[in-house]
Amino acid sequence: MSAPRFDELIHAPTRLSLVSLLAATEWAEFRYLREQLELSDSALSKQLSTLEQAGYVEIHKSFVGKRPRTSVTLSRAGRAAFDGHVAALQDIVARSGLTVLPGG
Amino acid sequence: MTDSGATPASAADALVEIHARRNQVVTATLVPHWYWPAVGGLIVAFTAAVETRRPWVVAVGSVAYVIGLAAAVGRVVLRHRAQVRTSLIGAHGAITIVGYVLILVALGLGTGFAAEAAGLAWPSTIGAITTAGAMTATGPPLMRYLRRVMITRPLGGSR
Repeated sequence: MSAPRFDELIHAPTRLSLVSLLAATEWAEFRYLREQLELSDSALSKQLSTLEQAGYVEIHKSFVGKRPRTSVTLSRAGRAAFDGHVAALQDIVARSGLTVLPGG
Repeated sequence: MTDSGATPASAADALVEIHARRNQVVTATLVPHWYWPAVGGLIVAFTAAVETRRPWVVAVGSVAYVIGLAAAVGRVVLRHRAQVRTSLIGAHGAITIVGYVLILVALGLGTGFAAEAAGLAWPSTIGAITTAGAMTATGPPLMRYLRRVMITRPLGGSR
């Protein structure tokens, strides 16, 4: 169980969505993230750069045939920060008496 | 308001968003419905080809099976542009998948041997048809079950 630690960097709405997607994956392609989040290339690149500078994501560039492919992985530090942030959110909600039910 | 500046309502909204994004990943990476009858059909066709015992039919059937299976699996793999986190499936999900495969194999072999013992023609093909039918009928419910396992797993790593 992770210690609760609210992370301002992750909590920003777009980054929360981005890190949440990455937390559910081993890796995800840049194109996949862009489509799921409905962001432009530049907007997604900016968010990924911020997370990369914090050491939260690792970006891998490769080629599949002649086509460039960029994949993104949540780093160990990023996963720990995400887990701590989730625990902090759950604490805040639990102390207020609210309940969050996962959607199906 | 808390020390972090997040209100309980905004924290709850954030948790809902995290659940929704995980749901989005899991749903997008499940095996599609068409996969089950497609692979089942290939198994039946391949088994029937082998059971004809005619070399050229066996050869054509084998090549068609390999190409068809590669196309079906390749289409599923290429469609995936993200890999769902392995730990979301967990031991329960992994045991379910292994058990599912073993049951399908046992069903196919059992039906095939029973058909042979009863003196029916094409016993292996009958076994393969049973397996294919079971795959087609139970593949989508299996995916729904695994989806439920993955999306209801507690958030936050090993928690």
